[in-house]
Amino acid sequence: MADQRPAVSVRSVNCPNCGAATAVRTFGHAVNVVCMSCRSILDAKDPGVTILQKYRDAVPREPLIPLGSRGTLPGETIQREVVGFQVREIIVDHIPYQWREYLLFNPYHGFRYLTEYAGHWNVVSTLRSLPDGDHLPGNSGTRGFDGQQFAHFQTATAKTVFVLGEFPWQVRVGDTVTAVDYVAPPRMLSAEVTSGQEVTWSLGQYTPGAEIWKGLGLPGSAPNPEGVFADQPSPYVTVTRRMWRNAAWLLAAATLLWIFHLASARSRQVFTQAFRYDPRQIQDASLVTPLFEIDGRQSAVRVETQTDLDNQWIGVGYALVNDGTGQSFEFAREVSFYAGVEDGESWTEGSRSDSVTLPTIPPGRYFLRIEPEGERIGKPVEYRVNVIEDVATSLWYLITVLLVMVPPIVTSIRASGFESRRWAESDHGSAGSSDEDADDADDDGEDGDDD
Amino acid sequence: MSSRTANCPNCGAPLTYRWSSSVQTVCEHCRSVVVRTDVDLKKVGVVADLPLEGSPIQLFTEGHYRDKNFIVAGRILYQFEQGTWNEWHIVLDGGIDGWLSDAQNEFAISFPVAMAKLPSEEQAALGKSFTWNETRFTVVSRTLAHYAGVEGELPFEYWDKEDVTFIDLRSDRSDFATLDYSDDAPALYIGTAVEFEELRLRNLRRFEGW
Amino acid sequence: MMTRIYLLYGLLALGFMGTAQYRGWRLSSLNEAHIVPKSVRDNPGSYRPVYGGFRHFTGGK
Repeated sequence: MADQRPAVSVRSVNCPNCGAATAVRTFGHAVNVVCMSCRSILDAKDPGVTILQKYRDAVPREPLIPLGSRGTLPGETIQREVVGFQVREIIVDHIPYQWREYLLFNPYHGFRYLTEYAGHWNVVSTLRSLPDGDHLPGNSGTRGFDGQQFAHFQTATAKTVFVLGEFPWQVRVGDTVTAVDYVAPPRMLSAEVTSGQEVTWSLGQYTPGAEIWKGLGLPGSAPNPEGVFADQPSPYVTVTRRMWRNAAWLLAAATLLWIFHLASARSRQVFTQAFRYDPRQIQDASLVTPLFEIDGRQSAVRVETQTDLDNQWIGVGYALVNDGTGQSFEFAREVSFYAGVEDGESWTEGSRSDSVTLPTIPPGRYFLRIEPEGERIGKPVEYRVNVIEDVATSLWYLITVLLVMVPPIVTSIRASGFESRRWAESDHGSAGSSDEDADDADDDGEDGDDD
Repeated sequence: MSSRTANCPNCGAPLTYRWSSSVQTVCEHCRSVVVRTDVDLKKVGVVADLPLEGSPIQLFTEGHYRDKNFIVAGRILYQFEQGTWNEWHIVLDGGIDGWLSDAQNEFAISFPVAMAKLPSEEQAALGKSFTWNETRFTVVSRTLAHYAGVEGELPFEYWDKEDVTFIDLRSDRSDFATLDYSDDAPALYIGTAVEFEELRLRNLRRFEGW
Repeated sequence: MMTRIYLLYGLLALGFMGTAQYRGWRLSSLNEAHIVPKSVRDNPGSYRPVYGGFRHFTGGK
């Protein structure tokens, strides 16, 4: 039973004028055969030209990877030849999406498939073992295979719309299968079920077009990918993880710095004195305190005003004056406190004491000048003034935490955006089209590539 | 394999058409365009070409399975609606008969197994599972096929050419099984799917250009 | 690459934080008035317009 190569019949296409060789030029759909010597154009009725034109009518666009190309696929050492080409289509929400498949063959080592959609390539091989789970593929859930969990991406009816060359079984335009895809980027686990007769599982590996072009020695470059493909690996995964890990270290360091600051801030009271202010007195109630020392390094200083206000307000004007340099730090505070009972419920408003923090006060000997003010008709007020040096604050820690968190959060948002775009193409698309077929994201439904 | 050759009608130089239905090539010698006239252009784009009968295995090919060597003694060619496959009758060291199936370069080796209570054709539906020899097998294909040819030595006599159902099953571990419904009682073959490299085949068929 | 830049940015933020804590910075600023001459300082209790900057509160409960 030795096989024979099928016999092929040929005819040459020669210029009827001068008998010389010819060249084929194609403009759109029209095939022109031109004589190289005398430039005459061969008659369209020439049988050879007719064959070329009929072929052109049947094959409006040649596959991007020419049939007959030989080379090795990325990650393999076995040479294969492209022997078949198929365009298949699914319809989702009344929109057709087409993708292309190339069949690569080695007479000993068998077949591989290359699939291409919108510039995204997968190298696919059929599986000899079955994945976990129910053995007819479904519409949702996950499947375990080869130590990974693959999440359901899409179930659709795939129809062949164009086929060239040889396939292991006789593919015809109009053939349909139920195609089910599960993804664990960069891999895709697929099943094809033909009407109750056969289920075939295969595994695809996302591969950059450039690597395929290199392995097969193709001229030019692979088409640019558009959109996000089902099993396209996310470029954000590693970056996100690293950013958060760095953020953790930075936050730990910031926390240590903060704790150190809290522990080393002395919060030492350097002055305290009580005063009495009677607003009804006409003469000026300003006064100056005795000197006190603010020592150590430049720090924040808190000034507290503690009163016994009772349904009254006072304003206190302060100047913290450095006796040596004359530097004067001025600030005014208002303290008010009101309380009462209304409808059986007691209420309060305001506070009897006030506190303000003065930044960056240099060390030195200081006094306070105090100018109280109040309502003409107010009661006398007893108030105490405290000055505390080297007070701590958590403000800078909080600001730093915020600053540190922003970049990893932004990265996580971008990573999440990538995944949203991936899943928008699936059966489980963006919120709003849960179990219906995917919404139309990228408008790449039409026939993909031109030559 | 898929390319076709011819001689240039002008100058006699050898020509190649790069794939099965490629209609056009240019003679490297005389630069004329040479067109194929035997391609059915009504089928181009519509139907795939018949795959060339391309099993790399032939009679007396030798190989290796588990810890035994084997030699190919015979062959049955099966044909079904959309294609063909080969079942090679192999004989292993010690005289054991087995089958090496070659379906478009997917290989499996299996041996007949006596098993009580095998499912009927209807019971072995796609996706159904059965446990034999402590392995869970699931039906992955059901094919209606007939014998299209034989070669060499076979462990049984010739039979008729009517369509018969063959049901293939796989496990999650490369196990492989076939239910053969040629006779009244179904026959079971159990084995494993194997990669070409694992078989370490020698004396293979040669392909021009490979 | 991005992560390196981020680390640098984070370390700068830490440096900023440490300095701010150490030097007693706050978000608000005071009216740091002029230098008050010594003669005026030695005059306790009297209001001088030159002290300046003090805003009177009007009303308010």
